Amino acid sequence: MIEFKNVYFQYPHGGASLKNIDFKVEKGEFVALVGENGAGKSTMLKLINGILKPINGDVVTAGFNTKNTKISQIAKHTGFLFQNPDRQICCQSVKEEIMFSLNLLNDMTAEEKEERAEKIINAFSLNPDENTFAMSRGEKQKTALASALASEPEVLILDEPTTGLDYRECTAIMDFVKKLNKEKNITVFMVCHDMEIVMDYADRVIALAQGEMVDDDTPENIFRKKDVLKKAYLLPPQITELASLLGGEFENCDSAEEILEVLKKQRKGEL
Amino acid sequence: MTGVLDYSKGNSIFHNMNPVTKIIIALCICVAAFGADNLLFLAGIVALDLIIGIISGIKEKAFSIFKGFVKISVFLFVLQVLFVRSGNTVFLFVTDDGIILAAKIVLRLMGAALPLTYMLTVTKVSDLSNALVKVCHVPYKYAFTITTAVRFIPVFINELDAIIEAQTARGVEFDTKNAFARLKLILPLCVPLLMTSVKKADSSAVSAELRGFYLRKQSSGYKEYPFKAADILAIILFIAFAVFGILM
Repeated sequence: MIEFKNVYFQYPHGGASLKNIDFKVEKGEFVALVGENGAGKSTMLKLINGILKPINGDVVTAGFNTKNTKISQIAKHTGFLFQNPDRQICCQSVKEEIMFSLNLLNDMTAEEKEERAEKIINAFSLNPDENTFAMSRGEKQKTALASALASEPEVLILDEPTTGLDYRECTAIMDFVKKLNKEKNITVFMVCHDMEIVMDYADRVIALAQGEMVDDDTPENIFRKKDVLKKAYLLPPQITELASLLGGEFENCDSAEEILEVLKKQRKGEL
Repeated sequence: MTGVLDYSKGNSIFHNMNPVTKIIIALCICVAAFGADNLLFLAGIVALDLIIGIISGIKEKAFSIFKGFVKISVFLFVLQVLFVRSGNTVFLFVTDDGIILAAKIVLRLMGAALPLTYMLTVTKVSDLSNALVKVCHVPYKYAFTITTAVRFIPVFINELDAIIEAQTARGVEFDTKNAFARLKLILPLCVPLLMTSVKKADSSAVSAELRGFYLRKQSSGYKEYPFKAADILAIILFIAFAVFGILM
């Protein structure tokens, strides 16, 4: 679904660059891209949807080589959720915003568009007439996500989707994305700085450091590799760190429940 | 790379001048551009502007700004040529008066606008506002307002770029060659730009107040902006240049 073939990219004025990026994301995968600020994460997202073109190598998104495909063509197959929804939302009401997306991408009849908009508004429990500019950050993010999903994309790209959201809003959005990923087999590619979110939702983690891939593994494995964590300046989820510090039978625990289970077994003398 | 109107570091003669001197130089060139009626002199003013840009060590930026103005000037030139009917017909309905007037207008526009923009790129905004307060005795809140307005131009340009990028990712085709179609696509973007601008202005105002904006007096700034010999010489030269321009 997304493929980077030995990609090299550098901005004309210097700044972040990407070197020898090579990976493939299959349909239905939930991938998190992690790394320090300036590692090249946002650049990688822009390469995926063709806003930036690689200097060397190829980026293939939903079957299109971004080098020779119009961004609007790629946009028909990808949904992009930006970190700041204020840059994305340009219509006054929720319904107008979703219709704006539908009008841009799909050759559908007016009735079909209405039906699709209603369906997505209901799925997100949004008020179609609500003023988008007077919404809370979480509601705006939800509207932007609904708008990105209105065209039923095959790939969903999320750029730090939980920044500035409280726990309730954050889990609501991430639960919805995970549900779509599982039920509709949508490929999710997410940049995230919150390792708890990465641990809870992602199936695979790509770690970047200074424009280079330092690892590509499951979250459970990556958060136990001290050298990778050091290189990419990552802080593992607290529970993984605790399990690591406790060592022994706790070493492989990834949740409080698993630690509790080991403790129970130890008490019963099973371990 | 910084935006075209952002401050460019350097150690040129213009970088080291008093900010007020730079304002006076820019205003003198503006006066000369609007006062002069000679086509060659007006072209000379544009050339002088570019030389100032090169001497200031901002050659790349200077030409980038110049190119931007050339695009606007072409549009203005065509518009002017189309509407002036007096004089001898040169080609179809285009008259010699129309061409001369159009040329003067665009040269005046470039001659007056270029020094103002170059002055902004070789002066730190903080120095500009502090010098206005210290040297010209402008009340700080007015100096701050002027410099903030200037400082926010590149911020808004960057914000518009980010909005265009976000909308492009949604599938909006800004690369269409049809100017009207592009305008139709850009117009809805004014809403998010306006919203983010108002928010930014509001948070800046709150932030300034929290940092004691109203406690600031003329004596609050520690940096002094004395006039050196080079400043006085430049002021005399450019005032003479403005007078010469009016007489031309």
